[in-house]
Amino acid sequence: MDAIDSVFDPLREFAKDSVRLVKRCHKPDRKEFSKVAVRTAIGFVVMGFVGFFVKIIFIPINNIIVGSG
Amino acid sequence: MGGGFRVLHLVRPFLSFLPEVQTADRKVPFREKVIYTVISLFIFLVCSQLPLYGIHSTTGADPFYWMRVILASNRGTVMELGITPIVTSGLVMQLLAGSKIIEVDNNVREDRALLNGAQKLLGILIAVGEAVAYVLSGMYGSVGQLGVGNAILIIIQLCFAGIIVICLDELLQKGYGLGSGISLFIATNICENIIWKAFSPTTINSGRGAEFEGAVIALFHLLITRTDKVRALREAFYRQNLPNVTNLLATVLIFLIVIYFQGFRVVLPVRSKNARGQQGSYPIKLFYTSNMPIILQSALVSNLYFISQLLHRKYSGNFFVDLLGKWKESEYGGGQSVPVGGIAYYITAPSSLADMAANPFHALFYLVFMLSACALFSKTWIEVSGSSAKDVAKQLKEQQMVMPGHRESNLQKELNRYIPTAAAFGGICIGALTVLADFMGAIGSGTGILLAVTIIYQYFETFEKERASELGFFGF
Repeated sequence: MDAIDSVFDPLREFAKDSVRLVKRCHKPDRKEFSKVAVRTAIGFVVMGFVGFFVKIIFIPINNIIVGSG
Repeated sequence: MGGGFRVLHLVRPFLSFLPEVQTADRKVPFREKVIYTVISLFIFLVCSQLPLYGIHSTTGADPFYWMRVILASNRGTVMELGITPIVTSGLVMQLLAGSKIIEVDNNVREDRALLNGAQKLLGILIAVGEAVAYVLSGMYGSVGQLGVGNAILIIIQLCFAGIIVICLDELLQKGYGLGSGISLFIATNICENIIWKAFSPTTINSGRGAEFEGAVIALFHLLITRTDKVRALREAFYRQNLPNVTNLLATVLIFLIVIYFQGFRVVLPVRSKNARGQQGSYPIKLFYTSNMPIILQSALVSNLYFISQLLHRKYSGNFFVDLLGKWKESEYGGGQSVPVGGIAYYITAPSSLADMAANPFHALFYLVFMLSACALFSKTWIEVSGSSAKDVAKQLKEQQMVMPGHRESNLQKELNRYIPTAAAFGGICIGALTVLADFMGAIGSGTGILLAVTIIYQYFETFEKERASELGFFGF
């Protein structure tokens, strides 16, 4: 029993700390969340399409390069 | 002190040979920073698409398949090494400095210059080492087939690309751009991968005839061409072996969850001893170490995979080698190997719910491994990266900040109540999100999505700060 306690006590303590931390946390409200989500989504899409178009453009270019090789 | 300085001073003779970007001697306007950042990104993207000259083939198992997205690496191109050299050298230097193996006093200008020089030198050496290893290991066909000339050419190309990445990152870091090159390249690579899986126009021949790779394109194509709309819809949502709409929806869901958790933080009030009690706050985020745990965990797993595959290829049948991992060719072609036994198998995500049900121990082991590894890496990282409670307390003290209601000597104690827990619990949350994403079949892997979202989030924070300081000039 002591052996089990020595294993679980730190875990229990950690769980307690984690719960306290989460309760203490400021959490984003709907407006804040929406704002961040939209902006991050825009960044995501912009970055993604920049890479996407470079890739699209290079497919024919690579075919020419590799074809002549 | 003397010993440490002696080690670092070994770098001094090399400083003059290393390519260096001059520190911006003037305030670079925001608009110029954006331009530099975009140009750097384009250079990187173009290098990611340029094929290597002289390679014989890129068939055969790709041992780095599992980590390419994370390290912005593309097979068979000039950017084969991706950001591996710079990330590895950065991590190594961070660990050495953080664990005091190398004595560095950040208040001494020369020490900072030497540290940067050492990191750059190490990055170049790693690029050379990896390039040679790639060629000798037969990644591009055996050396006999390539010929010595082509082998040397390939090595030179890879090293040159490695140096380009190092210089691009330095350009951005030195104040010419926004954020760090490493983060920019990783995030773009991941976003590109996801967009490609959604909108790719390439076709792949499967048992049902030619199909578009992109999930969205396939959805519309199936709806238009099939007479049975219901079956077409079901196929678009659930088809196997190619990206489908369910994968896309799972990706979006993970995206939203990560953004929500990004907003969690404990805000500690701080006050300046000077400036007549000017009030401020010091936020401690739930994701205190950001994406660092997942990067370290991925690096650990990927290296284990690499070693395991190497050993398996040469010493298959040996007890310890099999214990580490057993591999076989993937049924879906592409030259990928998948782990089917040993430790490598148990730390790989189950491929489906059916797989989980068939082997619940595998699922449980994987889950515990992910959460534990992320928590441990996160907790360790705050110590070596100089963001532990002690380090933060020291910084605040140097800035003449105190916490209202607490004696100065209690500052560290108060921080200790939050920072270690935020690091460990945040790491666990990161691990859990990654597992969730993988189980749901999100495109780009849970690791990738987490990295991309946290990086973009950081970019917007940087963006806000830059814009705020530039507002008077351009009114952005």
